[in-house]
Amino acid sequence: MASAVTSAPTTTAPVEPALRRFLRATEVDTRMIGMIVALLLIWSGFHVYGAVSSGSSIFSAAGNFISPRNLWNLMVQTSSIAVMTSGMVLIIVMRHIDLSVGSILGFAAMITGVAQARWLPAALGLGSPMIWILGVLIAVAVGAAIGALNGFLVAYLGIPAFIVTLGGLLFWRGAAWWVATGATVAPMDETFQIIGSGAIGATSSWILGALACAAVAAGLYAGRRRRARFNFPQRPIWAEVLLAGVGFLIVLAATWTVNDYFWPPGVVKAYAAAHNIAVPEGGLEIPYGYAVPVLIALVTGAVMTFFAARTRFGRYVYAIGGNPEAAELAGVNTRKITMLAFMVMGGLAGISACISTARLNAATNALGTFDELYVIAAAVIGGTSLAGGVGTIYGAILGALVMQSLQSGMVLLGFDSAYQQMVVGVVLVSAVWLDTLYRKRTA
Amino acid sequence: MKSAKTLLIGAALFASTSVTSVAAMAKDVVVGVSWSNFQEERWKTDEAAIKGALSASGAKYISADAQASAAKQLTDVESLISKGANVLIILAMDADAIGPAVKKATDEGIPVIAYDREIENPGALYITFDNVGVGRMMAKAILEAKPAGNYAFIKGDKGDPNSTFLFSGITEVLKPAMDAGKIKNVGEVFTDGWKPDNAQKNMEQLLTKNNNKIDAVVSENDGMAGGVVAALTAQGLAGSVPVSGQDGDHAAINRIALGTQTVSIWKDSRDLGKVAGEAAVALAGGKKMADIANVKPFSGGAKHVTVNGILLTPLAVTKDNLDVIISKGWITKDEVCAGVKAGAVAVCK
Amino acid sequence: MSTQVQTASTASSGVAPLVEMRDISIAFGGIKAVDHATVDLYPGEVVGLLGHNGAGKSTLIKVLSGAYKRDHGTIRINGEEATINNPRDAKHYGIETIYQTLALADNVDAASNLFLGRELLTPWGTLDDSAMEAQARQVMGRLNPNFRRFKDPVKSLSGGQRQSVAIARAIHFNARILIMDEPTAALGPQETAQVGELIKQLKAEGIGIFLISHDIHDVFDLADRVSVMKNGQVVGMGAVKDMTKDEVLGMIILGKCPPGATPGPGAMLSN
Repeated sequence: MASAVTSAPTTTAPVEPALRRFLRATEVDTRMIGMIVALLLIWSGFHVYGAVSSGSSIFSAAGNFISPRNLWNLMVQTSSIAVMTSGMVLIIVMRHIDLSVGSILGFAAMITGVAQARWLPAALGLGSPMIWILGVLIAVAVGAAIGALNGFLVAYLGIPAFIVTLGGLLFWRGAAWWVATGATVAPMDETFQIIGSGAIGATSSWILGALACAAVAAGLYAGRRRRARFNFPQRPIWAEVLLAGVGFLIVLAATWTVNDYFWPPGVVKAYAAAHNIAVPEGGLEIPYGYAVPVLIALVTGAVMTFFAARTRFGRYVYAIGGNPEAAELAGVNTRKITMLAFMVMGGLAGISACISTARLNAATNALGTFDELYVIAAAVIGGTSLAGGVGTIYGAILGALVMQSLQSGMVLLGFDSAYQQMVVGVVLVSAVWLDTLYRKRTA
Repeated sequence: MKSAKTLLIGAALFASTSVTSVAAMAKDVVVGVSWSNFQEERWKTDEAAIKGALSASGAKYISADAQASAAKQLTDVESLISKGANVLIILAMDADAIGPAVKKATDEGIPVIAYDREIENPGALYITFDNVGVGRMMAKAILEAKPAGNYAFIKGDKGDPNSTFLFSGITEVLKPAMDAGKIKNVGEVFTDGWKPDNAQKNMEQLLTKNNNKIDAVVSENDGMAGGVVAALTAQGLAGSVPVSGQDGDHAAINRIALGTQTVSIWKDSRDLGKVAGEAAVALAGGKKMADIANVKPFSGGAKHVTVNGILLTPLAVTKDNLDVIISKGWITKDEVCAGVKAGAVAVCK
Repeated sequence: MSTQVQTASTASSGVAPLVEMRDISIAFGGIKAVDHATVDLYPGEVVGLLGHNGAGKSTLIKVLSGAYKRDHGTIRINGEEATINNPRDAKHYGIETIYQTLALADNVDAASNLFLGRELLTPWGTLDDSAMEAQARQVMGRLNPNFRRFKDPVKSLSGGQRQSVAIARAIHFNARILIMDEPTAALGPQETAQVGELIKQLKAEGIGIFLISHDIHDVFDLADRVSVMKNGQVVGMGAVKDMTKDEVLGMIILGKCPPGATPGPGAMLSN
């Protein structure tokens, strides 16, 4: 397409179909649109099937798939995998793999669990505000340290990542058991629990939504300014407006959804009793707003996207994935970058360990078992190529959401876990197949 | 491997010292114990209990670890016999493969105790907990707490026969109430890998599906009960919805004291070890199997061979008998009462 | 014979060579890929490196570009001993390389390849993609005025376009020493001529160029001196004007050093 433009201007450019012209003008990733459409199809499929099979109206929110409550839950359930998959994208882009993330999660979870339940209260006193901060730092530091070790073995000793992390998968799972000889450690620090099960309420959510809209607008404006500075061609104004509109719509719809899920009566009653508030006749309607783990996952995704797209580190990760030898010859310190990527991956597993333990309000040594498979599957469903060099973080996060939607939806409809596994397996393979077709078309 | 070896060496050292100290009692009972895989955590507790029972009567303890190999266990049993064991306790790696070794022992007149896993040979005394009963006990405790309403069932891993096994015990107890329409099954799910976080996700979906109208949850173990309670807490339902479990997890016992879990069925493996040790000494002393206390015929195995069995009853730990589990030394009072308001339960004053 | 004098006694002539690789050896698993090879290069000079496939010319040059670590020998840049252990070191000395394989990261765009390892940053330390693209447009405009596909990954470009990206990368950072390994292999006649023009232009700017080629005609057109390698050893080195093409072919094929060239360790003993 672009080559037609570069060729002499005398040749008449072929008339573009409206859709293609639209896509080119807006410069959106058609792959992402495909995924969002697939996601919406899955959601409405579950919604309609659930309503029809239970005989209720498809417009009733109660018990249905597309309801604020279920979507809120879905996002929370996705967050731990979403955090890890944003790191896995970089690892796979570099033509490596990390099979140890689930075990790192388990080990970091046990360490931070034991620290919060035993060591820190003994040192700082029960309920000290430092406990949750140290708990998080410990988990992330443990994860990053293990990741750095993986990276060192891969980059500097030249052991294949598959082997290093397969060893790590076994070793750290065993180590997680060893920390408390298999016992479940509970409960977690009160403040720490917010990481997994807290929500920020309606007002903060609207403020956050407004800020996100402002960020979308500012980003588009900055892009125009940058292009203007170097006299690069601009998007048509209508495309900019449309992109901004779609961005606003997504943010506002998400905010409205999370604010339309209210505290259950039991929680309201306990809250009212604790704060001496009289509950009116119809009950208090307190919206949840954005869940903290979801915000953590979104921020992680944004930060990782920033690193991937706007820093040398990210540029090198992709260049190494495209051609490791070329990157080395271009003077990139490929070993350092490899080690760093694994370290980031480990640190993210540490963050996920915090989300998982805080949500469960317990650290168990089985936490994170098989997560590596889901994390890798999410990245692959999201368009990351195992051949290296290709993959986006938002795609992987969408992939995680697709997978969790299938699982949650099937539980909601009363399917056994055996079917969930079968369906996720089919989706994984078909996603990669569709991707192959897509790439052949666009290449 | 290494740790298993050091354990073995440690066990051997322990055995030899106990021999010298009790030699004066001049009892010639040598109990040979064949472990299937000593690397699994729980058998250390069992071994200590067996040893305790043996040293009380001055018997000698020798052991071998098959390290999860059924073939090695066959030679282990032979070497225990040649080392002079006159009674055997066998935790079978493979209940069928161990057959020839058991036959050889019984042919030589050496009594055999099948420890925790049944060996379907009438010459072997089967000592275990009443596993069928665990499911029944869970269901009974929940039924007492909530005689009518919507029940949800969080089952274990679909690949583990125990999940189905427990569930049949559970439904056995609940069936009359279900048939009478008092109890409604509003959802049952298997939990991959018995994982607490999976149980939590499943419970969240069940709550969503039923719009929180769930009155009781039967969870097949304590770990998953933890996930269930986390899901209930998020809906402000923890404490008002009875939840079951099993294993006596410390965190679960604490939840019982806090009031968020109703019951944990606890199998004290030390009881099992003690009973087995005492039975071994009695058998070596020439007592007949049928004459040992609590022995009853058992034919619930895969091939329905009738053997002599001692089936111990597990303990249903509830907020009313927390003192029992503390006095047994399984858990400290501080652990039980962590975060519990003073006076909320009897033991936490 | 002036070159011989220069090579033999740089100190006396007063002009230090830009590059002096002396007695370089490198072996891979017992096979001597380069065996005590010595070559030099003066500012504003093009030295052609000739030889069969596997003669060791690419390996020798990769020692200079930092891709391989030599087992033995010294490298002097402007008369001073240089430490070159990796590509970063080489770039530090102003050595730029256009590899035969082009060494492009296929999945990123032209500007990213051009600046790979030397990205332009904004004051906040982030990548300044717009500035990089603007500079890429400038340098590519000089090499390949029709090139417009700045947003596409380089794997979707034609062979000639890819080649110009690789060349642009080598000349954009004020190289003093340029290594070109088969720079025209993927090009048509018109583009090959363009590269020839470019080499002359760079030469005029005082840049020293090592030109590796299997095409003896190219080398005769562009090089001032040639050095011929065979089985990892230097057969001989001499000025193009002192030799015929047949003589050079004899060096390549038979290892026979003609009278116009200085024999190296690989020269067949003449009778």
